[in-house]
Amino acid sequence: MSKKLILENISKHFGSLVALKNVNLTIEPGEFICFLGPSGCGKTTLLRIITGFEQATSGQLIYNGKIINDIIPQKREFGIVFQSYALFPNMTVSQNIAFGLKMRKMPADLIDERVNEMLQLLGLAGWENHYPSQLSGGQQQRVALGRALAIKPSVLLLDEPLSALDAKIRVRLRTVIKRLQQELGITMIYVTHDQEEALALADRVVIMRDGEFRQIGSPWQIYKKPRTSFVADFVGTSNFITATRLNDKLKFGRLELSVAGLDNVAGDTLYLAIRPENIEIVGATIPPENCVPSNCVEVTTEVINFLGAVVRITFLLEGDEMLVDLPEKDFEKTGLQRGKKMTVYFPPDAFYIYNELFRKLT
Amino acid sequence: MTMPVTDTISPRSYEISSLRMETDRFVVPAVTIFIAALLFFFMLYPLWAILKLSFFKGGEFALANFTFQNFQKYFTTAHTLNALWHSLYVSVATTVIVTVIIFFFTYALARTTISGKTFFRNIIMLPLVAPSIVQALALIYLFGRNGLITAHLLHTKWNIYGAAGIIVSEVLYCLPHAFVILYTTLSAVDIRLDEAAESLGASPFKVFTRITLPSAKYGIFSAAALTFNLTITDFGNPVVIGGNYNVLATEIYAQVTNLYRFDLGAAISIILLVPSMMAFMFNYYISRKTFSMISGAAKPVIPPSRPLKKTLFTIYCGLISSSIIIIFITVVLGSFVNIWPYDWSLTFRHYRFPSIAGYSAIWTSVWVSLIVGGVGAFLALVAGYVMETRKPFFKQFIYMLSVMPAAIPGLVMGLGYILAFNKPYYFFYGTPWIIVINIMICNFPLGILSSISNLKNIDPSIEEASISLGGDTIGTFFKIIFPLTRVAFFQNFVYFFMRSMTTISAVIFLVSATVHLAAIEIIMLDNDGWTASANAMCTCIIVIVMLMLGILQLVAKKTGRRPAGLVAEI
Repeated sequence: MSKKLILENISKHFGSLVALKNVNLTIEPGEFICFLGPSGCGKTTLLRIITGFEQATSGQLIYNGKIINDIIPQKREFGIVFQSYALFPNMTVSQNIAFGLKMRKMPADLIDERVNEMLQLLGLAGWENHYPSQLSGGQQQRVALGRALAIKPSVLLLDEPLSALDAKIRVRLRTVIKRLQQELGITMIYVTHDQEEALALADRVVIMRDGEFRQIGSPWQIYKKPRTSFVADFVGTSNFITATRLNDKLKFGRLELSVAGLDNVAGDTLYLAIRPENIEIVGATIPPENCVPSNCVEVTTEVINFLGAVVRITFLLEGDEMLVDLPEKDFEKTGLQRGKKMTVYFPPDAFYIYNELFRKLT
Repeated sequence: MTMPVTDTISPRSYEISSLRMETDRFVVPAVTIFIAALLFFFMLYPLWAILKLSFFKGGEFALANFTFQNFQKYFTTAHTLNALWHSLYVSVATTVIVTVIIFFFTYALARTTISGKTFFRNIIMLPLVAPSIVQALALIYLFGRNGLITAHLLHTKWNIYGAAGIIVSEVLYCLPHAFVILYTTLSAVDIRLDEAAESLGASPFKVFTRITLPSAKYGIFSAAALTFNLTITDFGNPVVIGGNYNVLATEIYAQVTNLYRFDLGAAISIILLVPSMMAFMFNYYISRKTFSMISGAAKPVIPPSRPLKKTLFTIYCGLISSSIIIIFITVVLGSFVNIWPYDWSLTFRHYRFPSIAGYSAIWTSVWVSLIVGGVGAFLALVAGYVMETRKPFFKQFIYMLSVMPAAIPGLVMGLGYILAFNKPYYFFYGTPWIIVINIMICNFPLGILSSISNLKNIDPSIEEASISLGGDTIGTFFKIIFPLTRVAFFQNFVYFFMRSMTTISAVIFLVSATVHLAAIEIIMLDNDGWTASANAMCTCIIVIVMLMLGILQLVAKKTGRRPAGLVAEI
C-alpha cells in the first residue's frame, strides 16, 4: 500500500542562508529512514518540505510517480508526529484520534471502530475520555501516534518525537514505533539528533550536516564504515590522530604505526580515527604475542570512568587525550588505578583513515 | 499492543474533499481584504475627509482650492492659539507627575514585599471602569466654587477650575494605563541583576540608579508617551473642569458644536493629531525595545524588603489609593445626597433623570456595548489569527492599519465620521450602528494586540497538526483555536464592553436627537446644571461595568483559569 517517495535535487534557501543543498534520496515503500544530524543541519527543514509546510526553493518531490511540490499538506495524506505532541488540549484522547477521520466525513460508527482499533493498538484502552493534560508524556506521544495513524497514511513523518521524554520511556516507545512500522508496513521518515535512536530504529540512516547528505547507509555501515571524519566523530566516539606518511608506516610523534589499507588513501598528512572499544590493553584484552610491536605503546592512565558494562580510561598519547573502553570484567583483571602505567595496542586494521579533518565543534 | 491492524476500512473512500480545499485557499485572502477594507473605509476615509476640509476650501479636493486659511486663522487668533499652549502645558505636566508617581507605586508592587498588593492593584485599575469625567466631577464637588473642602472646610475662595483641575483629574485618570505598562516591565526585568550588583558591593542607592532605573527605562518612556497621548486627547475631564481654560479637544468641540465652523474644527484636529501621532510613534518604537529587554529567565521571587522600606512604600501606596477611592466615593455619594454639601440626607431623586434620554440612554449604551464587545472581540481574534498564523501577503501593512487607531484622538475620529458619512446614502449614519463601528475601530489596536499575544501562546504545531490531518482554515479556527482562546476572548469582550460604556470623546459627535448614550448624558446633564444627576448617571455606568467584570470572573473561574491577563491587557 505504500509507494516510492523520491527527493530530487531538493534545495532550500532562507534569504541568503542555504538550509538544504541539492539533496537526493529514493525512499522505498515500507522503509524506515532516519535523518540524523546536529541541530541546524537542515533535517527538520527537509521534513517540513516533505510535509508541505515549507516549499523547496528548487528540486522536486515525487510521490507515487507524481510531483507533489504544489500539493497542499491537507491533500498529501501523510501522517505527522510532532516533537511537542501538538495534541488538541480541548479534546479527549478519542476526539483527538477521531479528528482526521471527521475531517474526512467518515460515518460515526466507522470512526468509533477505527478509534477503538487505535486505542487497542497503542495500549491506550481505558484512557479514551481523558484530556491530554491528564496524561503522561509517553501516553501523550502514543495518542499523537494514534491520531496520525488513524487516517491510514502511507507515509508517517516523525519530527524528533521522543526528545521531550525521559530516557527510559524513550527506549520503550522506540520499540513501540519500530513494531508499528513492521506490522503496518508503513514508510516512516524519522528526524532525530540522537544517534542511538537512529541506529536502533532505521533501515537506512541519512547523516546530514550543513544542509547536505554526508552518508547514507544501514546503521551497521554508518557505524563500522564512516565515510568521513565527521561521521566517525558524530556517530559513536572516535579518537583522532594526525600522522604523517613515512614509507609504509605512519609517523605520529615517537610512534611509527602499521596501518592497514594505507595504499587506498592519498596525501602525506593523514587523520586516523579509532573507536575506544577497538583499542586493546596488552595483557588484559590481548596477549602480547598477538600484537604488532610497532603499534604498542606504554602510557599513563589519567582518568577512570566507570560506566556500568564498560570502563572508560583516559590516557595521554603524545600530548593528545585518548579514550579506551574495556568490558568491566576485563578491567577487574588489570588492577589499573589512576596514575598507573599500561600498554595499549592499536590493531592495524582498526583505523579509519581520512585525508581531511572537519573542524571539531568543541 | 501487538494486535495487528485489520484493514477493514479503506480510508481512500473518505478523502479530504477537493472542493473544500479549493475554497479554503480563498478564506485567508478574503478575511484579510475584509479587515483592510473595514479599516480603510472607517478609519482612513474619515481622516481623509478631515484633511480635505482643513486644507481645501469647502472640502473640495482640487489644486485651486488649496488653502492655509484655516490654519492661518487658528494661529492668528489668540483664543484658539492658546488652546495649543494649554494642551501642551497640561499634557507635559500630567506626564511628568504621572510618570514619577506611578514609577514608585509600581516599584512597590513589583519589587518590594509589602502586603496588600492585590488591593493596591485593584484600586489603581479602578479608574478604568468609569468615563474619563468621573475625576472632574469629584474634584468639583471637593474643590469647586462650592466644594466641600475649599468652600466649607477651609473657607477659601480658591477653586480648582482651570489648568490645576485638568492636571489633577488627568493624573488620576492616567494612573492605571501607565501602571499596566510599567508593571509589565518592572516585574519582567530579571531581579537577579540587582542581586548580582549587591553581591559585588553596590549600595542600595547605586543598585537603584545604576541597575533598576536603566533596566526599566523603556517602560518608563513608554508609560510617559501613553500618558501624554491620553491627556492631550482627553475631552471629558477638561470640558467639565476646564472652565474658560480651553484645550485643543474642547476647542474642536466648541468650534463644531457652538460655532458650526467644521473647517476650523478640522484644522484644529490636524493640529491635535500631530503631537498625539508623535507620542504614538515614539511609544511604538519604544515598546519594541521593551520586549527585547525582558529576559525569559526572569525570576519572580522577590527577596524580603527591609521594614522601613516596607512601611514607607505602604504609606505611599495607601495615599495614592485613597485619592482614587475618594474620587469614586465622592461621585457615588454625591448622587445620593439631597444637596451637596449642604443637605446630607439621602435621596434617589437624582436618579429621576431630568433629561429627555434618561434611562433609555443607559439601555442604548448597554446594548451598543454588548454588540461592540461581541463583534469587536470576534473580529480582533479572527484578524489576529489570520495575521499571526496564516501570515497573509501584506501582514505588516494590515498590522500597521490595525494599531493606527491608537494614534488618532477619538474626537478627531468622531469629527471625521460626521464629515465622511453625513450623506443620505450612508444609511447607518445617525443610527446607533455608526457608534458601534466607531467604538470598535477606535479600540481595535488593543483588542488585536491582546489577541495576537494570546495566539502566540498556542504551539504552532497544533495548527500544523490540524492541517496535516485535513483541517481547513475555518474548521481549525472554530474547532481548535477558538476553544483554546476562549478566556482571552471573554477578556477582550469585557475590554470592548468597558471601553464602549465609558468612552466620551469618540462618540460625542455621533450621538443625535434620537440616539443617546449614557456617558454623553453625563456631560449634557452637567452642562445643564444637573450635576448630581450627572453623578448618578456616572454611578450607573460604574455599576454596569463592575457587574460585567464580575461575570467575567465567574466565566473565567468556570473555565478553570484566572483572568490574569486582564490587567496586562487593558
